[in-house]
Amino acid sequence: MSTATNHPRWTRQLAGLVRKDLRLELRTKETVVAMVLFAVITLTIMQFGFGTRDDDLTRFTGGLMWVTLAFTAVLGVGRSYVAEREQRVLDGLLVSPIPRVVLLAAKAIAIVIYMAIVEVVVIPLVGIFFVKGPYWDSIGWIALVALLANVCIALSGTLFSGLALFTRARDLILPVLFLPALVPVVIAAAGATHAVAAGANDMADYRGYCLFLVAYAILFLLVCVATYDAVFDD
Amino acid sequence: MPSSTTEKTRSGRVPGARAALIWGVIAAVLVTVSTIGVFLVAPEDADQGVIQRIFYFHVAIALVSLVAFAVACVAGIFLLRTRSARWDDVGDVAIRLGLLFSVLVVITGSIWAKASWGTWWVWSDPRLVTYLIVVLIYAAYFVLRSSVDDDRRMRYAAIYAIAGFASVPLSFYSVRVANSFVHPVVFTGSGAAMPGSMLIWFVVSLAAMLALFIALLEVELIGRRAERALRRVALALENT
Repeated sequence: MSTATNHPRWTRQLAGLVRKDLRLELRTKETVVAMVLFAVITLTIMQFGFGTRDDDLTRFTGGLMWVTLAFTAVLGVGRSYVAEREQRVLDGLLVSPIPRVVLLAAKAIAIVIYMAIVEVVVIPLVGIFFVKGPYWDSIGWIALVALLANVCIALSGTLFSGLALFTRARDLILPVLFLPALVPVVIAAAGATHAVAAGANDMADYRGYCLFLVAYAILFLLVCVATYDAVFDD
Repeated sequence: MPSSTTEKTRSGRVPGARAALIWGVIAAVLVTVSTIGVFLVAPEDADQGVIQRIFYFHVAIALVSLVAFAVACVAGIFLLRTRSARWDDVGDVAIRLGLLFSVLVVITGSIWAKASWGTWWVWSDPRLVTYLIVVLIYAAYFVLRSSVDDDRRMRYAAIYAIAGFASVPLSFYSVRVANSFVHPVVFTGSGAAMPGSMLIWFVVSLAAMLALFIALLEVELIGRRAERALRRVALALENT
């Protein structure tokens, strides 16, 4: 009880909402398992997409990884409001006194966690499948890029999935809205990964791309905070 | 319906027609002058030859498309504050024109790429590529508009116009992230990378494109207002 009163109300609301999403996912295992499987299937298809069976695709490491993760993100983001909508949880949340921005933050945190779980599988797998050269030394740098990119994906994804929620053919609308906005993230994340993977160690490029991701996250955070109230203003 | 608008309509004057006419005349004059100036007066670039003249329009159109997206973003902000349908009209028309201008930027950029590098498309040129992304972002605006109903349409379109505009500086920043880019940068931190005799015609081209945008915006808004008035009349007739 004393813990509850010591924390601001919004942090308890945020923690409760994130716990709700994670508990739901732990019980159903619908989203993350499908995302991981989808990512592995996409990586496998990528190999055949080049037309030649090549063991060394080191120079495409960043692109292979982030195109896969971008498509996987669309899948995960698309599922992020499904439970709320289908079981009318959203109606309850919207009439509750929880600020909209807390709803946004909770969804974004859940997406960051889902993406991180997918990346725990995808990032090593890219090294095993495609890279012939030093890869594992730079795994920490790649993880940092992944963290920054996840925040970007989560912020823009939460906004666009909110917009797509009440549209006709929302499964089609979300990728059309979300993927173009995600292209700069893919460019930067793939560029940063390429800059450090396979012993490249081009830290100037890496820093530039990471700063770009930070700028993207800040801009979309501002846009989300400014507009998210209006998304659910019914 | 606001009384002033009703009065003007009853007196036979179309609201906004005078502004549209003035901007139309300014645009016609400036476009003519800039076309003559760019092709007949401006000096030829020593390195690139005649193809460099496309830059007077290419860069001007690119800048005006950004103005159009900025107008849509501002209209989106005002719509979310006031919930007035006229801001939805402004935002929608601005994005339509911005998208049209952006497509022209990509086409003129592609023509320049063919002349300079021998290929219609160069993926190593981040500015051209990111402009393509901007086109895709704003093309999605219309998909969103067509898939939501009236009440939400205005709000969602406004939010998307704001979010879309956030991607514009990102696309321009991305050109300077990578070390290897090939696009000539006309305006750098130290000023314009062209002599005064070229700069003057660039400024005229820019003014011409800006006037053309404003004229088209005004004309299209007259159409939107007329459409709303007609809908109100139809509704009133149905109720009588």
